[in-house]
Amino acid sequence: VTEAHERIVEDLAAYVLGSLETEEHLRVEAHVATCPTCAGLVAEYRGVVGIMPVGLEPVASPESAWKVIRAAVRKRRPGRSGYAVLPKWLRIARWPAVAALVAFLAVWNVTLQHELTRRAPGPAPGPEVEALSRRPGRIVILQGTGKPGASARIFVAVDGGGHLAVSGLDSLPRGRTYQLWFARSQPPPVAAAAFAVDVSGRAWAKVSVPGSLDDVRAIFVTDEPSGSAAPSGRPLLEAQSWR
Amino acid sequence: LDRSATTEAADMGFFRPRRGTAAGPGGSEPGDPELIRRMRLADESALEALYARYGGLVYTLALRIVGDPELAREVLQDTFLSSWEGRETYDSARGRVPWWLMGIARNRAIDLLRSRPHQARLREQEHRAREAAALPPPNTEEAPLVRRAIIDALGGLSTLQREVIELAYYTGLTQAEIARELGQPLGTVKSRTREAMDRLRQALRPLMGPTAEAGQHRD
Repeated sequence: VTEAHERIVEDLAAYVLGSLETEEHLRVEAHVATCPTCAGLVAEYRGVVGIMPVGLEPVASPESAWKVIRAAVRKRRPGRSGYAVLPKWLRIARWPAVAALVAFLAVWNVTLQHELTRRAPGPAPGPEVEALSRRPGRIVILQGTGKPGASARIFVAVDGGGHLAVSGLDSLPRGRTYQLWFARSQPPPVAAAAFAVDVSGRAWAKVSVPGSLDDVRAIFVTDEPSGSAAPSGRPLLEAQSWR
Repeated sequence: LDRSATTEAADMGFFRPRRGTAAGPGGSEPGDPELIRRMRLADESALEALYARYGGLVYTLALRIVGDPELAREVLQDTFLSSWEGRETYDSARGRVPWWLMGIARNRAIDLLRSRPHQARLREQEHRAREAAALPPPNTEEAPLVRRAIIDALGGLSTLQREVIELAYYTGLTQAEIARELGQPLGTVKSRTREAMDRLRQALRPLMGPTAEAGQHRD
């Protein structure tokens, strides 16, 4: 036990009574935070200070004080939400109500999506495309490098047939068309499909895959004059990898 | 201090904490920790219960410090409003709920006393505290057992010990101010303060049990 510790112990009672000058108070507080012995003594002193008022001659509190307190509490409750003032039966029923609302929104969303799909103009995948998609094969993803937000997916069956699904492209003026190109190790690139998109920016098209994909170095889509034999525009969609 | 005093103290929640989550020692009233828990859920009825339990004592303490019924009423209202707004800050490790309330009330009352309009009242209070210390012990025959125990413990102090404690507690004077007020060396005031608190601690220890409510309602 150090001399400094003893000096602190001498001040502990005054510390608990709040009777020390600020500097002394802080010094004792810092010591108590690190000294379990002094912290224990402080706890006991706090008990003494806490019960001292019980020794006073009791005086009845003013009757109206509680009404003032209650009114102030209610006035000062900024966080009091509409929920807090709901009747108890409504508070109990809130979770079933929320669950019912979520279920309703889910059903409504599915119905809406189905309806939008049903009513969407433009080409729809024909039965041959659907049949193709059920055969084993590979999928190539194209990203809108020249047209942010656009994307495409090419399904290539093992026997060389394929189809293309595109979204996010703009409708083209008369005389122009989108073309899908396969660039092999030996030029020139081969046009594998030509297509237009509907008002939603979507398209489905059959793809003539030139031989094996292993020989293909690049797959991309450009905007071309109708019947173009070679790519002239910048790539709007490009495949990143398909191996 | 006999067994009846111990039981009564426990019922008051001052010495041994009111236990249980649903009911207090009597089995019908919620304990203080339960009231705090409910207050944290914004249950106003819990604050009302706390007020019913300790409002009178808070007012008694406030009146003892500020010496004016209107100011004491202001302290009473501020104390329970502060306890409501600070209900998240109550730390059971630092003491029981009534100790916390008394601390709020005492600080508020002393702040009020020290505010400029009440400086004259402060001097009056210092004078009154010295007079109170010089008075003969109050008649405790009709007092409840716990109160009687505390009065007896205070009565066991020397005049100087009691003076320094009352000046510190009821007027908020620092040790240096008390030394000046009593014309005593600062070292003597500090020693008497410590001696008085040690004697009270020892006299009341049989009733106090664990000094904190740690582990009972840390939620």
